[in-house]
Amino acid sequence: MPDIITVTNLKKVYNDFTAVDSINFVVHQGETFGILGPNGAGKTTTLEMMEGLKGITNGTVVLDGKDVSTQGREVKNVIGVQLQSSSFFDGLNLKELIETFAALYGKTVDAMELLREVQLDEKVKSRVKELSGGQKQRLSIAVALVNKPKVLFLDEPTTGLDPQARRNLWDLVNQIKGKGVTIILTTHYMEEAEVLCDRIAIMDNAKIIALDTPTGLLKLADVGTTIECHTDQPAPVAELQKLPGVQQATAENHGFTLKTRQPEVALPALFTFAQQQSIILHDVQVHQATLEDVFLKLTGRKLRE
Amino acid sequence: MTIRTLTIASLKMFVRNKQSLFFTLFMPFIFIGIFGLIGFDKPQTIDLGIVTRSPSAPTKAFVDSLGNISAFHVTAGTESEERAALQKGDRAVVLIVPDDLFPDPAAIPPGREGGAGQAPAAKTAPKAKDVTILKNVAYEQQAQTAITILTQLFDKTTLQVAKAPTLFNLDVQSINANKVRYIDFLLPGIVAMSIMQMAVFSVAFVFTDYKEKGILKRLLATPMKPLDFVASQVITRLLVAVTQSAVLLGFGALVFKSHIYGNPLLILLTVLLGGIMFLGLGFTISGLSKTTDAVPAIANIIVFPMLFLSGIFFPISSMPNWLQGVVTYLPLQPFAKAMRAIIGDGAGFNVIKGDLAWVAGWAIVLVALAVITFRWEEKRM
Ligand SMILES: Nc1ncnc2c1ncn2[C@@H]1O[C@H](COP(=O)(O)OP(=O)(O)OP(=O)(O)O)[C@@H](O)[C@H]1O
Ligand SMILES: [Mg+2]
Repeated sequence: MPDIITVTNLKKVYNDFTAVDSINFVVHQGETFGILGPNGAGKTTTLEMMEGLKGITNGTVVLDGKDVSTQGREVKNVIGVQLQSSSFFDGLNLKELIETFAALYGKTVDAMELLREVQLDEKVKSRVKELSGGQKQRLSIAVALVNKPKVLFLDEPTTGLDPQARRNLWDLVNQIKGKGVTIILTTHYMEEAEVLCDRIAIMDNAKIIALDTPTGLLKLADVGTTIECHTDQPAPVAELQKLPGVQQATAENHGFTLKTRQPEVALPALFTFAQQQSIILHDVQVHQATLEDVFLKLTGRKLRE
Repeated sequence: MTIRTLTIASLKMFVRNKQSLFFTLFMPFIFIGIFGLIGFDKPQTIDLGIVTRSPSAPTKAFVDSLGNISAFHVTAGTESEERAALQKGDRAVVLIVPDDLFPDPAAIPPGREGGAGQAPAAKTAPKAKDVTILKNVAYEQQAQTAITILTQLFDKTTLQVAKAPTLFNLDVQSINANKVRYIDFLLPGIVAMSIMQMAVFSVAFVFTDYKEKGILKRLLATPMKPLDFVASQVITRLLVAVTQSAVLLGFGALVFKSHIYGNPLLILLTVLLGGIMFLGLGFTISGLSKTTDAVPAIANIIVFPMLFLSGIFFPISSMPNWLQGVVTYLPLQPFAKAMRAIIGDGAGFNVIKGDLAWVAGWAIVLVALAVITFRWEEKRM
């Protein structure tokens, strides 16, 4: 797929604070591109520069062949934007709201159809303040779609939503992606990035510290699989360490964890060992490495403290 | 196309917003209602205190006759009592009458038109007697009226004593009659005031709210021209200003039989000019307010003094001179004055062009301030 966005040496300085520090990346047409990072990493600032909402201190953003700094209005015509804290006029119902926004693009839309797409058709006569959190986010996506954008920006679309509403929104994002819209989203949630994104940029302290597909990033972490067990006795860590396939054994509060790159070898060896030693294993859990581990490995910090 | 859609949308929002409606129509209705019903039109009696010690019979007759004048509410007392009452604000004027104001044997019935005329022939011109009038400056107008009436009485008596022929027959009562009804004075000013309230508060609240909630930022993420949005907001409010003026004037005319003279086009021009001026103020206030909480504080500091000092409820001529010098130039004063001149007196353009020039000048200044202070986005940190 060709690139639809090229970001080169993009930089934002507020007074003397650098919020985005010379980052580079491209976004392929039709993909879902994620920017993952902790609070204050610079995700929103990056997005808003790409959307033409914030002045660019240095560098360029070219979107669909148009330079954001010089052709802001042309860029705004082909993108849809959901802001991190989107809010809308209280005095209009959803239908009027969507029609008003369409008018800003010089377009008319079938508001009902758009609302049906985000499952808000029953709320067509409601006001924004009468919507739940998840419904508000879906509305703001519907409003972002009034101009049939080529690129859709979603800034933390699921923050503050309960798991059910979050899954609901994931379905919606995938459904929009299915129509060929390129999506750029930011998130704090690893799981969300893994589920939704074709490629993920991990951002920390104003810089992009890694950019790859979810599997590529997991490989990067090189942590393999974690086996977690609870036991009644203190864990014989020294012996566990010697089991075939086990890289590292660590004693925990009520048991131990093993790190392995060959779970198919390590697990049978662990079970045999436990039987021989009469160790009772409670709650055996096997975890794949997650982006959380990747972040920890790259920065030495947890993503969300 | 964009402007039209935005204007229609914001008109809908305006009408649905209870707060805007309150400032636009409800409050002025109440003002007109209350003040129109109280009606300060009925001539109020003037509290007149009279001090005598042991008056001669004719002096006493003169004093008693004052009580027959309907404009006065007369109280008699000692000088110290009456001075105290004046201090307390219970008297507008206190008249200190010397006992021998009229010498005893002569009986002069005062205050009667061409009455008995039994005045004794004055062989020599009598020496002028000192009559002291203490006036309460807090009731300047009433005191002046009282003094006018009293002066006339004394003049007439003097003439009678001097046996001068009666050249004029004056009706003493007419001195106190009000020519212009209070509602006629009030209504145009209330219309001007309500336009101020509407323009200042609806813009300041709504725009600060849009800014605070990030709605303006969301709008800027569309290819909309920012000026189109501002234009639609201005057009909306000017339409409201015109409608509101028509409704309030119609209400005054129907319910209180207020007179509405003047060229409707000139009224329209004045309303639009005043509207633009106060919209400029509204945008400036929203530019200065970081949050919606700050709006009422800032707006009231500016709007409240104007509300009471711009001659809406009482003429500014009743204010001290130094204050008049200041308030004459506040935005609301020339606007209200022009409205009153057109609506109340049917004044033409030439009469009010000075006031309109002030309004236009303020409009330019306030719109410029609005442009300087206005921000689309709330600054963080
Ligand atoms: N207008 C501004 N003026 C000064 N500093 C700012 C401004 N906007 C953002 N910043 C700073 O820039 C940094 C990056 O902010 P940004 O909003 O891009 O973070 P983010 O990654 O989106 O965080 P979050 O996950 O909390 O939304 C932060 O430290 C923030 O305080
Ligand atoms: Mg953010």
